Amino acid sequence: MSTELEHAVETARSPFAEAFEMFRKNHLAVAGLILLIVIILAGLFGPYIYVADPFDMVWAPFSPPGEEGYLLGTDYLGRDLLAMLIHGARVSILIGLSAAFLTVFIGITVGALAGFYRGLTEEILMRITEFFQVLPTLLFSMVIVALFGASLPMITLAIGLVSWPSVARITRAEFLRIRELEYVTAARACGVSNAKLIFKVILPNALPPIIVQAALMVGSAILFEAGLSFLGLTDPNVVSWGQIIGSNREYILDASFTVTVPGLAIFVTVLAISLVGDGLNDALNPKLRQR
Amino acid sequence: MKEKTAKPLLKVENLTVRFPVKRGGLFSKKSYLYAVDDISFEIARGETLAIVGESGSGKSTAALAVARLVKAHSGSVLLGDDDFLSLQDEALRQARAQVQFIFQDPYASLNPRLRAEAVVREPLDSLGTGDPSERQASIDALFKAVGLRPEQQRLFPHQFSGGQRQRIGVARALATRPELIICDEPVSALDVAVQAQILNLLRKLQKDFDLTYLFISHDLGVVQHMCDSVAVMYMGKIVEHADRLSLFNNPLHPYTKALLSAVPSVDKKRRQETKRILIPGDPPDPLSPPNGCRFANRCPAAQEQCSQSQPPLRQIAAGHTVACHLVSDNGIAPI
Repeated sequence: MSTELEHAVETARSPFAEAFEMFRKNHLAVAGLILLIVIILAGLFGPYIYVADPFDMVWAPFSPPGEEGYLLGTDYLGRDLLAMLIHGARVSILIGLSAAFLTVFIGITVGALAGFYRGLTEEILMRITEFFQVLPTLLFSMVIVALFGASLPMITLAIGLVSWPSVARITRAEFLRIRELEYVTAARACGVSNAKLIFKVILPNALPPIIVQAALMVGSAILFEAGLSFLGLTDPNVVSWGQIIGSNREYILDASFTVTVPGLAIFVTVLAISLVGDGLNDALNPKLRQR
Repeated sequence: MKEKTAKPLLKVENLTVRFPVKRGGLFSKKSYLYAVDDISFEIARGETLAIVGESGSGKSTAALAVARLVKAHSGSVLLGDDDFLSLQDEALRQARAQVQFIFQDPYASLNPRLRAEAVVREPLDSLGTGDPSERQASIDALFKAVGLRPEQQRLFPHQFSGGQRQRIGVARALATRPELIICDEPVSALDVAVQAQILNLLRKLQKDFDLTYLFISHDLGVVQHMCDSVAVMYMGKIVEHADRLSLFNNPLHPYTKALLSAVPSVDKKRRQETKRILIPGDPPDPLSPPNGCRFANRCPAAQEQCSQSQPPLRQIAAGHTVACHLVSDNGIAPI
């Protein structure tokens, strides 16, 4: 008995630690995570290893990949595509992460308040959520960027503003479910204050689906940013993957690689994020556990 | 049985809990479901009162309302000298230390993200009971008191069995040194063997910590083992209230009789003696309760007056009250 107990104490892991264990066993998700880490590292340290200014015109336009030592070739202005891709990784991932963070922040706040307090608070907050949900997302963010200028913070804000309703709805649904569970009532009977009930008792238990949604949000924010910059609504002073596609789109038939290369980068990154999100979903969903 | 002290610890008067029910469209009239309808009872310090009744009789709602976990519509709950129902915000939060709750389902009542020690620590931290430096010591003492090993403090709820989980729930309820503990079917989710362990633990703790219990149950065997007095609820109303011996030996209300006749017995002689009273049908729609006695449509002894007017709760003998038209004043039961 005592050795059994010691074993149990040694293996006493939090549910998150168990989820990590599950995640580790999912090879696709781990592959996605490794890929994602490589992309992030390339974005972080690439500019120091491959030192080149992405705005420099270095060689003749539309030189195909490999020519003159330019691994991925040059774009319509003769700029080094590899340098642009590396610098663009930074911007794309930064926007993806910060927009997803903003989305989750607004979504959790609104959803948690609506789901916890119910009543009039819920009515008002959910009508606001629905208002944002029925807006055509791309159009609305285009309006914001067109009105307030195409700087990176404004693009992030535009993406965050149009995509938070889904997180708010998921959070609210989880709060509605969890607030009725006995351990929440128990915490209330123990005199736990409302703020602590929301953030320390209910939120940690509501997190799994929100985490999954947040991971997928990063991917869709990168896509969104690409869409906006393809339409020219981007900061012309920074390189992002979408912007490379957008600026080269007129030459898509003559020099398809100028569009394909950044397109592939977006595709691979979003795929990696989706794999990670999917793995997280399996790991955090208790119904799939121990199968 | 213990002598009744002059002043009850808990005195509940005319407690009513109702829930708004939306029926039909946006502009339809709001109707209310009276889950607990005008009930009164009191518990002396150190004693145990059981509320029994079938599912939907309002017994759990009454318990939650007493603990201020469900909003009461009207009535008063006096805890010692304080009106527990009128407390607000911070005063209420602090007063919660006096009234603790043991929940029915040990699988749902522990936060899965907290280690056992953190579950027990929660009330200590949030109500600021005791010196922060001494909290670990009091957690150790609580674990010992409920029969858990100190090493088990580090474990998570899913690593415990149902009985052990309920012990953690008991330790949490004890943490703030409450005077009143409300046990809402504390053993109905457990195996019979484990039930006995938990019930004996509760009895031992009652002695050691001088606790008063409000015990909610549908299991009359458990009630007989635990309680000093019993209140029987049916559709939100108390139909009979007596001390344990009077109620089990001399049940007056037909519903109580029927409940008692349904308790299985291993004693063959006793089994043959008791005639099972069957009550057909279901309780009436709680949204539109009948004008007369709420049990009339299922009562084997029902007469015309039963469906005309509601029987008031009358005292038949000292400490024995019943709500039935047909019980005579000198305590002769209709069946």
